[in-house]
This record gives sequence, C-alpha cells and structure tokens, in this order.
Amino acid sequence: MHELEARNLQMKFGGVTAIANLNLTVEEGEIRGLIGPNGAGKTTFFNACSGRYPITDGEILYRGEKISGLKPHEIATRGLVRTFQHVTLFRRFSVLRNVMTGNYLHSRHSYWGSLLRTRSTREAEAASERRAREILDFVGLRSIVDQEASTLAHGHQKMLGIAVALAAEPRMLLLDEPCAGMNSDESREMIGLVRRIRETGITVMLIEHDMKVVMGLCDRITVLNFGNEVADGTPEQVRANPEVREAYLGSQTYAA
Amino acid sequence: MEELSRIQKGTWGVLLLLALIAPFLVNFDLYLIHVGIVITFNVMLATSLWLIWSLGLVSFAHAGFMGVGAYASALLLHWFGLPMWYGLWIGALLSGLLAMLISIPLMRTKAVYFFMASWAVGEVIKRVFAYFKGTFGGWDGIFDIKPPVLDVGFLQIDFTNRVAYYYLALLFGVLTVWIIHRMNSSRTGMVYWSIQQNELLAQHIGINVFRQKVICFTISCIMAGTTGALYAHYQTYISPHSFDIWTSEFALVHVIVGGLTTVGGPVAGAISLTIIDEALRATGYFRTMFFGFVLIASVLLLPGGLETIPRRLRELFNRSTGK
Repeated sequence: MHELEARNLQMKFGGVTAIANLNLTVEEGEIRGLIGPNGAGKTTFFNACSGRYPITDGEILYRGEKISGLKPHEIATRGLVRTFQHVTLFRRFSVLRNVMTGNYLHSRHSYWGSLLRTRSTREAEAASERRAREILDFVGLRSIVDQEASTLAHGHQKMLGIAVALAAEPRMLLLDEPCAGMNSDESREMIGLVRRIRETGITVMLIEHDMKVVMGLCDRITVLNFGNEVADGTPEQVRANPEVREAYLGSQTYAA
Repeated sequence: MEELSRIQKGTWGVLLLLALIAPFLVNFDLYLIHVGIVITFNVMLATSLWLIWSLGLVSFAHAGFMGVGAYASALLLHWFGLPMWYGLWIGALLSGLLAMLISIPLMRTKAVYFFMASWAVGEVIKRVFAYFKGTFGGWDGIFDIKPPVLDVGFLQIDFTNRVAYYYLALLFGVLTVWIIHRMNSSRTGMVYWSIQQNELLAQHIGINVFRQKVICFTISCIMAGTTGALYAHYQTYISPHSFDIWTSEFALVHVIVGGLTTVGGPVAGAISLTIIDEALRATGYFRTMFFGFVLIASVLLLPGGLETIPRRLRELFNRSTGK
C-alpha cells in the first residue's frame, strides 16, 4: 500500500489542461520533492489531493482509500493535511490561538460543552493549549506565542502555517513552497524543521523552486512539465536526466 | 477559554443590577419601562445578529425570522388558544427549522451575495405574511395577541402588567446574551472566528465549515424567533411591516455602532441607540435624520464602536499621567 497514489489523474479548468495524465506514488516516511517549471501543475496537484478543486478524471488514493471527491475537511480528518504557497493564517488570532484552532480535529469540540463549560470541556481546552505549545516549541516559535499572526515576519508566518498544519496531527503533510520568500538563514531553519517533521513519522511531500533546498532535502524527486511527469528518482538521477534539463532550460535542438 | 477580566465582570454585574432595579429607578413610569422592554428586544436582535457576524456574514433576513416566531406564536393563540408559553418555544423552533432549511442553499453564497440572498429571504418571508390574507391577516396584520398569565397555584402573574413583562423580557434578554457570550468565548467561538478569518484554512484543518455555518445561523434565528414571539405578545399587534428590512438594518446599525469583536459591542450599541432614538422622538420628522447623524458621527469619530471606549480611556489616562 502506498501512502499517496494518483492514478491517471486529470485536471482541466475549462479548456486548460493543468494535469494531463499523472501517475505517481509516494511511500510512507519519505520526503518527496515535486518540482517543475511554472504552470507545470504542481500546486494543482496539491489542490486535487486536498479536495480544494474537483478532479476531472482518474483517482487519488490515500493509504489505499479513495479520497478524490471528498471535501477538504474530510481529507484532513483522514490525516492528509496541506499548507499553502501564500501565507494563509487566521491573521487576527494570536500565534497560540492559530495553532489551537489547527488542533480542532483532536480537541473534541461540542456545543453543549461550550455552553455549560463542563469539566471535560475545560480539560480538553487545557489539553489542546498544551498540545499547541508543544507544537510551537517544536517549530521554534515559542518566544512569540502571544503575538498576533498578522504582525509576524514573513519567515515566522510560514513557520506558523506549518505549525497550524501540524496541529491537525497529519500522517502526511503537503508543503507548498515552504521556503518561498525566505532568506538563506530562514531557509536553513525550514530545512531543519522539515527533517524533524519526517523524524516524527510524518510523510512529507513538498513543492519547492530552490534547487539547493530540493536536492539537499528530498529522498526522491518527481518532475512535472505541462501536467505530465517527466522524471522520477533520487536527486542525482533527476539532476542527470536530460529531459529535466530540457524542461528547465529548453530543448537543445533549438538552443544550439 | 477567554476568561473575562475583573473589570469586565464588574461592568456586566453593574449593568445587570441596573437592569434589575430599573423600574424602581424610573419610579414605575410606564413609558420608560416601555423603552426598557424595547431595549431588551433590540439587545436580543443585535446580539444574535452579531453571532452570525462572527462567521463573517451579515444577514438581512433577521427580521424575517423574528416574524416567523411572532406569527407562529400569535396564530397558536388565535387558532388553538395556546398561550405564549407554548408559542414562545414553538415559534422559536419553527424559526430555527426554517432557518436551517433555508441556510442550506443560503450558505453556499459568500460575502455580498450572501447579504443579497439573505435580504431576499427576509423580504420573501415578509411578503408571505402579507400575501396570504386568510392565514396571516395580510398587510392588516393580526390583532389582539394577548400577553400570557403565569399561574403556578400560589402565584399568579398577569403579563399585561408592563413591569411584569419587562422582567420577562429581561430574563430572555439576559439568557440570550449569556448563551452567546458562552459560545463566543469557548471553542465554538474560536471555530466561528476562524471561519471569518480564513475559511479556506479552516476547511483544510478539518473544520466542516458548511455545517458550522448552518448550525450558527439556526441558533441565531431561534433567538430571533424568540424575540419575535415576545414582541408579538407585548405589542399585541403585528403586521408584515413590523418585520421588514428596517428592523434588520437597525439591528445591524446597533452592532456596528456598538462594536464587532465582543458581545459587549452589540449590547452597548442596542442600549445606547434605542435610548437616543427614543429621545429624538420629540423631533418628529427630523428623528430619522438625527439618527443618521448619530450613526455617521459614531462611525467617523469612534471607529471600532462603543466597545473601544474603555481602551481609549485607558490610553488617554496613561498619556495624561505620562506613562
């Protein structure tokens, strides 16, 4: 059983084919990179996996179970959680509250509990807050738990986005350009964080444009171009693949 | 989750105490007690409307659902002779049931489209009351909706007595505010506000946004329906005009002038604007105009609403003492 599997996946928006016919598998415990030129269909693939947009054809399986056709919240409930390319946070919430909200699935929310503030509700709220603080420690945002999310530096906001996703306690995490817009120090921190996430047993798939990050971090890399898979393999294999060079640099016949 | 500070608790306590002794303070002046009852209704409408706002939505159907509660309770009395004690609950539940059914298509719309769709819903509800003359009395409305009598053997309270009705309305007003405060300050509130802040992210961390919206809208409309039933048996007369867009709009103005971030906002807004509105009654035609001035002035001079006053005073105090 594969952790994540796409079979003959097709995504069309009107007349535009974003993903033509994609077959790929991700195994449990790996860090998988997803690269390709702009418009190759990388983010579209994440949107398909997370249920944000309906797929046109084919199917997506998560741990052997078909998830295409499910709603985003149903997919998150199954343990597949994603982050977004652009900073996506509860902007007016404090850092802690962002992560506590992320912990929603695991903190048994009930209306009667909210109204009557029963003992079990108070305990669940306290447990959820402890869990949120643990996650913020893990991510390295401990010192800014009380700040409002909108006031944070860009790098911290990206980190917080991952913390919110981690609070949903995923078994697999889809990271859409975690290092986008980061300076090299922040990137290094992010790389360390992704490694630590994998060590906790979470499978990671990430989209990234920074080749240094991708080559250094990923166990395997899948290359997309025009909605098709061009290559799949270890960083060395992908680097040596002529088709990948072509996708990024243009065809040699024309270039020469 | 978010505990009230001691000052906030004190303010709520003082407010409740004032509300409880208000009839004595005004020396049982019937007109002023009437104003008190109107204030309670407006507080209930504004706070329940604010509950929907915590999802980031502005509903203009609120008066319509208030009407459902009012008509249901009035008709139960006229057709079956059931006093308000039944109409109150049945009216509220009918209002909630209708809200739940309507919110299923309604919650597929967003932002300004939701606002327009909810406006249409409110308008349709009103026109249904007006159209079916045989059932709902048409534009003429329904007369003679008697207030109830409480009879528990040793104690009899006739709610035609205005002071008695004031305390009845106050009971439901306090209950409404308390429920909304509890919801908002717990994880339910966290879920609602998270949907307002970022619906996309809320969905992707596992919140069933659609379901939460339907539940929130239903609860809010149950409260509006309760207000409607209380209103009907107090005024003893209702017509479709009582539940048109203006009623929703005034509730919205109360929320905006009061403030959008805590339940104290709509409460403060409803209380102060109802008093201002009544005080302006003597100015006749100019009343609406003055009301407009007050609204514009408060939005311009007090962005964030009345709920920001404590913070502003604190800042002013700190500045003047040079801290």
